[in-house]
Amino acid sequence: MTTDIMEPTTDGIGARKDYHALNAQLNLFAADGSIQLGKDHEAVEAYLAGHVEPRMIRFDDLEAKIDYLIANEYYEEAPIRAYPWAFVKELYRSAYAHGYRFSTFLGAFKFHAGYSLKTFDGDHYLETFEDRVVSTALFLGRGDEELAGRLVQEMLSGRFQPATPTFLNAGKTQRGELVSCFLLRIEDNLESIGRSVNSALQLSKRGGGVALLLTNLREQGAPIKKIENQASGVVPVMKILEDSFSYANQLGARQGAGAAYLHVHHPDILAFLDTKRENADEKIRIKTLSLGVVIPDVTFELAKRGEDMHLFSPYDVQREYGTALSDLSVTEHYDEMVANPRIGKKTLSARAFFRTIAELQFESGYPYVMFEDTVNAANPLKGWINMSNLCSEILQVNTASDYDNAIGYQQVGRDISCNLGSLNIAAAMASGDLASTVDTAVRGLTSVSELSDIDAVPSIAHGNELSHAIGLGQMNLHGYLASQRIHYGSEEGVDFTNMYFYTVTYHALRASNRISIHRGQAFGDFENSSYADGSYFEKYTERVWEPATARVREVFREAGVDIPTRQDWQELSESVQKHGIYNAYLQAVPPTGSISYINNATASIHPIASKIEIRKEGKLGRVYFPAPHMDNENLEFFKDSYEIGYEKIIDTYAAATQHVDQGLSCTLFFRDTATTRDINKAQIHAWRQGIKTLYYIRLRQMALTGTEVENCVSCEL
Amino acid sequence: MSLSPEAPVAEHLLRDSVTPPSYRIDPAARLRPINWNRVTDEKDLEVWNRLTANFWLPEKVPLSNDIPAWQRMSQEERTLTMRVFTGLTMLDTVQATVGEISQIQDARTEHEEAVYTNIAFMQAVHARSYSSVFSTLTSTREIDEAYAWAVGNDQLQERCKKVLHHYYGDDPLKRKVASTLLSSLLLYAGFYLPLHFSVHATLTNTADMIRLILRDKAVHGYYSGYKFQRGLETRSREEQEEIRVFTYELLEELYELELDYSGALYEPLGLMEDVAVFVRYNANKALMNLGYPARFPAEETEVNPEILAALSPGADENHDFFSGSGSSYVIGKGEDTTDSDWAF
Repeated sequence: MTTDIMEPTTDGIGARKDYHALNAQLNLFAADGSIQLGKDHEAVEAYLAGHVEPRMIRFDDLEAKIDYLIANEYYEEAPIRAYPWAFVKELYRSAYAHGYRFSTFLGAFKFHAGYSLKTFDGDHYLETFEDRVVSTALFLGRGDEELAGRLVQEMLSGRFQPATPTFLNAGKTQRGELVSCFLLRIEDNLESIGRSVNSALQLSKRGGGVALLLTNLREQGAPIKKIENQASGVVPVMKILEDSFSYANQLGARQGAGAAYLHVHHPDILAFLDTKRENADEKIRIKTLSLGVVIPDVTFELAKRGEDMHLFSPYDVQREYGTALSDLSVTEHYDEMVANPRIGKKTLSARAFFRTIAELQFESGYPYVMFEDTVNAANPLKGWINMSNLCSEILQVNTASDYDNAIGYQQVGRDISCNLGSLNIAAAMASGDLASTVDTAVRGLTSVSELSDIDAVPSIAHGNELSHAIGLGQMNLHGYLASQRIHYGSEEGVDFTNMYFYTVTYHALRASNRISIHRGQAFGDFENSSYADGSYFEKYTERVWEPATARVREVFREAGVDIPTRQDWQELSESVQKHGIYNAYLQAVPPTGSISYINNATASIHPIASKIEIRKEGKLGRVYFPAPHMDNENLEFFKDSYEIGYEKIIDTYAAATQHVDQGLSCTLFFRDTATTRDINKAQIHAWRQGIKTLYYIRLRQMALTGTEVENCVSCEL
Repeated sequence: MSLSPEAPVAEHLLRDSVTPPSYRIDPAARLRPINWNRVTDEKDLEVWNRLTANFWLPEKVPLSNDIPAWQRMSQEERTLTMRVFTGLTMLDTVQATVGEISQIQDARTEHEEAVYTNIAFMQAVHARSYSSVFSTLTSTREIDEAYAWAVGNDQLQERCKKVLHHYYGDDPLKRKVASTLLSSLLLYAGFYLPLHFSVHATLTNTADMIRLILRDKAVHGYYSGYKFQRGLETRSREEQEEIRVFTYELLEELYELELDYSGALYEPLGLMEDVAVFVRYNANKALMNLGYPARFPAEETEVNPEILAALSPGADENHDFFSGSGSSYVIGKGEDTTDSDWAF
């Protein structure tokens, strides 16, 4: 380790940083009215030279560096020693020779602030971007030189980017888990509630977000031990969960975050929603816990007819059916439950209820929405899906756990975890070998699943062991379409989305099938899935899928990306029925916040929020991010989400959704001239188009004429 | 002329009755209830709608997420923050209890009276919101010390009394000028600090709250300036000239006071130069609201781009939902769906 480190000057409160000033000029028009994209490149240079370089610890050679990192408990030794040293050395050499460059200030800033390994005192950097990539690849490769090498190429070229928990933690000794996301059921007893709070704490400490299912908790006023009016309902449980999440975080790197899901036919549904009211009492006000609701088809039918909706006591449903409310189809049993005098119920107007949801979404952006029957109709596994996660893209089956009085497990149920990683559509199309990119990504994500053993929560470990579920996501759709001079949400834009997801789905299934063949093992309960009897494949084998527009045909041809044929699907279907697939779930499209900034991609498959996005985060402060692939010549293709409007977003998502086994985080955008009715109309449209879940509702209020800051890019309509 | 049949009745009502604040001038006059179905100045309705949609309370902001950042700050930085915020509390207290209330008597329309009650209330919310920051981040002893400092600080006292003098004076237009200068000039030196922090990822939730306050202040300053201009139009040329001179003189006095007050606070940390630019920028903004030309040339008002960009009052930032609630949500407009919406 060299000793001549330049000591950074201490940054007092009065210190201004040039790179912040340069970056902020993105949000102010130049004198000639153009967007000052060059200023952001200057900000990158100023940041790397002025902040990063002086704090980067240099070593004499790679061996000295790796030895130091292992000896000082920065790096785990085993993942590196799984390869011959000559290979490791060559892998690093090729990574450094790749010539990686940060495209934006936010990308560089976010990588160094959030991902790069730092000395324990937090003052110096020990990793460049290339170092983090190689460390991740070696870790996920598990001694497989070919896989490690391919992962380095996929990550450095930007084609594949693992999700934050994986990219942040892989290879480090002091680290959290590699998995992003957990979903837990809570059953209607104190043991389950207590155990779930413990699990929520344990999981927040280790990784990303935790979603909890409240649907089975008995409602406020329900009997306890047959004495009426005893139960407190879901709200006090939410309060406990909220406080638990603020307490736990992942070594300070990420704040604990949680979500609670409730079925809309649960009697506490209004109390659940009212926790987000602006003027709610402090005792019941929920600030940081995210809320989601589960809506079955029957609720839409009732609203259509202008009727009341019945809410059913989960306590009574459990006693009448011997099944938890979360595990049966409310649509299917609705009339029967209404007619059953032994099930306690309340009623409210279905249309007024939809309006209440929209009011809350105006005020707080919540709740997320999961369309229960759409989700279950598309579920390839046996079982009922009753919840989603913190970003509303994970949709998997679960089963209940039983506990003894000391909250030990009597029976370990199946809870859900999901590890994610996303492809950059533009980079993936540019390589021409989409099959290979998807294959590497699926194998990398499968490694994450196999390297994860959440022993603190046995139901999660059990679920993961059965399913090896992964969530291959996508990002940079808008950036890619604009680079091809295709408008987001246009006929060609939707056509491309359809064919791209169609192609990715084929390759993902094929990759998972290959793992199954190699291991001689399919995921647990494969034999009861629609993959096993071939019915899953019917939509691909019974008709021909090809581009509807000449432009999209041309785009695929120019990129050299083959579109799978019916024949390909038939062969795949046979192979899957014979050998199985290794991953119970393969795709899920997350919102991709942080990683899309580092990867220089537009988030997920959304349109951009703004040409120049104002990004505010706990760790970063206020930073400005220019839309990827945008220059002053192609601005017309960079309409923002508010201009594009919800119809085109929903059409685009619908095209993708039909191919994705799990869900896609779908945020809808409205101007503040919208009313609750507009939001309801959007929800009806989304449900009709087969969208599975809706994530946030976002609103943009423009400054009152006369109060705006002059020359501000983000103030422009 | 084709007036609708009711029109003469309405005109008659407006002529023969007064709104309650006029009781002090003429106790015998008939009183008239506010009628939002006859809005004479559309600006009143526009601003009322904007203000009510923007309603918020400090409880909405998860300030406790700022505790780690607060603990990382030096004692010197914390003291500065507490004093700046106590100074802001002082000014917002003046506005809530006197400044905005005193505008009601001068209202040109009955709806303007209602708008000022809303503005006065929001000023009280702003004054209270700084207390939320204190009680979340600091101890009672530190809070009491900061309040003792505010009561003992001569410059802070003088800044307040300078405007209070006009609030209790005779001229409605001077009241408006004083109020606009307070909300567009005096407050902003205080806002500089949290904006500066937020650029550097410190106290970001507090900064969110300040941005909510700024969102309100931008509307308040704009509205008072607008009403001032409507009032000024009714005055004689001589009176207009007198008000113009008065405005620039008061601006000068307040600007000098501001430099002294903020200088004592910010100088030790090397921020005063930037703060002064920011004050001049906002002085020009106040004049613009009042319909007057700028006092300071452009080259003296070039605010740091990062602060200027952070100032934009539109709700267009894309925040990370897991670390804060952001400053973009509004109370929506409810509208029932109809059968055609459900036609599937």
